[in-house]
Amino acid sequence: MLRIDVERRVGSFAMRVAFETDAQVTALFGRSGAGKTSLVNMIAGLTQPDRGRIEVDGQVLFDAATGINVPAELRRVGYVFQEGRLFPHYTVRRNLLYGHERIPEGERYVRFDQIVQLLGLDDLLGRRPGDLSGGEKQRVAIGRALLACPKILLLDEPLASLDGHRKNEILQYIELMREEVRIPMVYVSHAVEEVVRLADWVVLLSAGSVAAFGEVEDVMGRPDLAAAGAMFEGGTVIDTRVTAQDMDDELATLAFDGGTLTVTNVDALIGEPVRVRIRARDVSIALDAPQRVSIQNVLKGRITGLDIGRSGIVNVSIAIGATSLRSRITRRALQQLRLGVGLEVYAMIKAVSLDRS
Amino acid sequence: MAGLTAEEWEVLRLSIKVALWSVAGSLPFALAAAYVLARASFPGKSLFDAAVHLPLVLPPVVIGYFLLLLLGRRGPIGSLLDEYLGVTFAFRWTGAAVACAVMGFPLMVRAIRLSLEAVDEKLEAAARTLGAGRWRVLATVTLPLTLPGIITGTLLSFARSLGEFGATITFVSNIPGETRTLPLAIYTYTQVPDGDPHAMRLSLIAIAVSLAALLVSEVMARRATSATKGRDAAY
Amino acid sequence: MLATRSSTGSRVAAAVLVAALGVAGPTAAQAQNLTIFAAASLKNALDEIDARYQKRSGEKTAISYAASSALAKQAESGAPADIFISADLDWMDYLEKRQLVRPGTRSNLLRNEIVLVAPADSKAALVIGPGFPLAAALGNQRLAMADPDSVPAGKYGKAALEHLGVWPSISDKVARAENVRAALNFVSRGEAPFGVVYRTDAAADKKVRIIGAFPANSHPEIIYPVAQLTGGKSPSAERYLAFLKSPESSDIFRKHGFVPY
Repeated sequence: MLRIDVERRVGSFAMRVAFETDAQVTALFGRSGAGKTSLVNMIAGLTQPDRGRIEVDGQVLFDAATGINVPAELRRVGYVFQEGRLFPHYTVRRNLLYGHERIPEGERYVRFDQIVQLLGLDDLLGRRPGDLSGGEKQRVAIGRALLACPKILLLDEPLASLDGHRKNEILQYIELMREEVRIPMVYVSHAVEEVVRLADWVVLLSAGSVAAFGEVEDVMGRPDLAAAGAMFEGGTVIDTRVTAQDMDDELATLAFDGGTLTVTNVDALIGEPVRVRIRARDVSIALDAPQRVSIQNVLKGRITGLDIGRSGIVNVSIAIGATSLRSRITRRALQQLRLGVGLEVYAMIKAVSLDRS
Repeated sequence: MAGLTAEEWEVLRLSIKVALWSVAGSLPFALAAAYVLARASFPGKSLFDAAVHLPLVLPPVVIGYFLLLLLGRRGPIGSLLDEYLGVTFAFRWTGAAVACAVMGFPLMVRAIRLSLEAVDEKLEAAARTLGAGRWRVLATVTLPLTLPGIITGTLLSFARSLGEFGATITFVSNIPGETRTLPLAIYTYTQVPDGDPHAMRLSLIAIAVSLAALLVSEVMARRATSATKGRDAAY
Repeated sequence: MLATRSSTGSRVAAAVLVAALGVAGPTAAQAQNLTIFAAASLKNALDEIDARYQKRSGEKTAISYAASSALAKQAESGAPADIFISADLDWMDYLEKRQLVRPGTRSNLLRNEIVLVAPADSKAALVIGPGFPLAAALGNQRLAMADPDSVPAGKYGKAALEHLGVWPSISDKVARAENVRAALNFVSRGEAPFGVVYRTDAAADKKVRIIGAFPANSHPEIIYPVAQLTGGKSPSAERYLAFLKSPESSDIFRKHGFVPY
C-alpha cells in the first residue's frame, strides 16, 4: 500500500530510495544521517523529492512526471514526531481534536473516547503540554495523529527522547495501538530492539539508499549487513553495568534493570557500562526453576508476548524486570509447555555477546 | 488634583480616540510587514526593513511634512482619497491618527516580528500533517503563538501615540477638540504666560495614562506567554 | 496673571516640558558663538543681514527662528541667547519683567502689517471691512493662523478680526499653527483657502497672494522690539545690535517689506 521511488539531493547528500510494502508495520532502519527522516518528510509532503513517485493506498501523492504534488494537509498521512510537537497554547483535549474535527463523520474510523482510553489520556485532557512529562507528551502525540484518521501513520523515532522506563511504556502503547487500530505504520528508528519488537518488514537505509529490504528476521539476521549499522540477529540488546569481577573464575557480574548476568571475558572495570546482545535462539524457556544445569544465567520473568512466525518458529517476549528479553522456540515447544501471555517462566540464557563498538 | 475639568476630559478623550484608531488602523499593516520581514526573502528586503524603521530615526516634523505633502488636500494620495472616498486628513483628527500610526509603526512591527520569529515552524509543519491548510495554520498556530508580541507592539504603539507631537502639529496643526491631543495641549499651555500649572496637570495625566498603558501591556503579554507554555515553563 | 506657586518651580516645570517636547531651539549654543533668537517672520531678511555680518566680522553666529512666544519661554528657562527680536511688545515685556533683558539695550527695530492671504491660484475676492463675510468664504474649510493665544502674528490677527466683528463667526474654524511661517505654509500648499500672515511673509512666498490688508487701527501697532538678554555670553552682542540698526540693515529690511522704526 506504500509505493515509493524517489530521488533527492541536498548539498552533497544524495538519496535514492525505492521500495513497496504492504506490511502493517514497516520499519525504516539505519544509522543517524542515513536519510530516514528525509524520506518520511517526503511521504508526509513536508519536503519534495527531486524526481520520483509516491503512492499511498492507491492514491498518488507525488509524481514528478505528471506534476502531481498533493499538499501535505490533504495527504491524510499521520505523523508522530520525535519531539512530539504538541501545540503549547492548546489543552491536551484540543490538541487531540485538532485534526479530528475536520474529518467528515463517515470517514472517522476512530473515536475520541476510544483513543483516550487506549492511550490512558483521561487524566491529561485538561492539562497543557507544558505540564506533561516526556512519556505523556508522546502518548498525546500518538493520539493526536491517530485521531486525524490518516491512511498511514508515520512515526519518526518516537522513543528517542525518552529514558528506559518510558521507552518501554510507550512501546507497549504502540504495540497495543498496532493491534487495536489496524492502520499501516512506518516506524523510523535506529534502535534494534524497537524494530525487532514492532516491525514486520524492515527497510534498511544506508547513506541515502536501500541496503536491504525484507522481513525483520531475515534482514536483521544477516551478518553481511553488520557494517550498515547496529546489525544483529533477532534478539535483545541490554545496557548493563559491571558490578563485580571474579578473578579466579574469570567471570564478571553485569547488572541491568531487572537482574544480573554472569559473563566470561568481560574486559571492563567495575562500574563501567557494557552493552550486551543476546540472540533469541540462545534463550530457552523453562516452566520450573532448572535444577542441576550448566547454564549460569537463569532469569525469572513473565511472558508478555507471543509471535507465531513461519516455519514453526515462535518469538516469545519475556519481561525481566523492566527489560524485555526475546526468546525463540518451536511451535511444538509452545504447545508442549502450554505457554501463554502472563505466564511466569524461567529464561535460560546460553550465550551472551558483548558489543565492542 | 482630584477631578478633571471638562476641558481636560475633552483633551484626554481626543487623545485616546486618536491613539485607539491609529493602533487599529496600523495593526493589519504591521502584521503583514512583520510576517514578510520574518518569513519571506526577496530582493530589496533590507530596504523595506529600513523604510519601516524610518519613523524611529527621522525627526517627527519631517514625517509630518511628508504626510502633508502626500495626504494633504492637494497631495497625490490625499486628493484621490478625497475625490473617490470622501476621506480627508487635513486639519482633522483622522490626520492626527495617521501621524500617530506612522510614528508608532516601527515599534509595532519590531515587537510582532520578534514574537513571530520565535514561533517554532515545526509546529506549523505538524499542523499541516493534521490537515490544516495554510490559512488555518496561520490562524490556529502562528497567530496565537505570536500574541504576546502583538499585544506588546499594540500597546507600545498606543503609548507612543499618546505622546506624539511633532508630526501631528506639522501635519494637522493645533485645533482644540479636533487635533489638540494631550501633548499639543501641554505645549499650548507652555506658550501662554500663565499656563504652567495647567501644563503641569496635563503632563501628570499624560504620565499616568502612559504608565497605565505600559503596565497593562506587561501584564497581558505575560499572561499570553504563560498561556502558551503551561505552569512550569520548562518546555 | 502669574502662577501662584514659586517662580522656581514653574521655571523648572517649563524647562522640563520644553525640553521634553523638543521645541526647536538651540539647546547648547557654543560658548563664544553669538546666539540670536528671532521671530519666525524675520527669517528671509535676517538671514541676509546675518550673512553680511559674519563675512565682515569673521565671527560665527547662530540664529534660532521660532514663534516669539516659544523663544521667550526658552529664554526664561535659561537658554543662553544674546539677542532677542520679538514680533510684539508683550513678549519682550514678559522677559523684562523677569529681569532677563539687559538694561538700556532695548529699542524698537521694525514695523510690519498683517494681511489676509490665499493660495496663488485662488479666485477669491474679499474686501476686508467690518463684518466682512470671511465665514461664508471659508465654508467648511479652515483659516490658517499662528496660534492666536500666544504667537504675536496670531494675536494681531485675532485682535483685528475681533475689532471687525468677524472673530466669533470663524473662531472655531481656525487651524492653529506653531508659528506664522507654518501658517503661511498651509496656505501656500493649498491646504487652507485663507490665512493671516505678515505682509513680509506674503512677499516671501510666491505661492500665495494677498487678498487684502487689515486696517492699522484694527489691532495694536505691530512693533518688533530688540534687546540684549542677560543670559547671553558673547562679547559681540552690542556690535551685532548696532549692525541691526545700521542703514545697510535697514535697506535690507525694507527690501523684504519691513518698515524700519
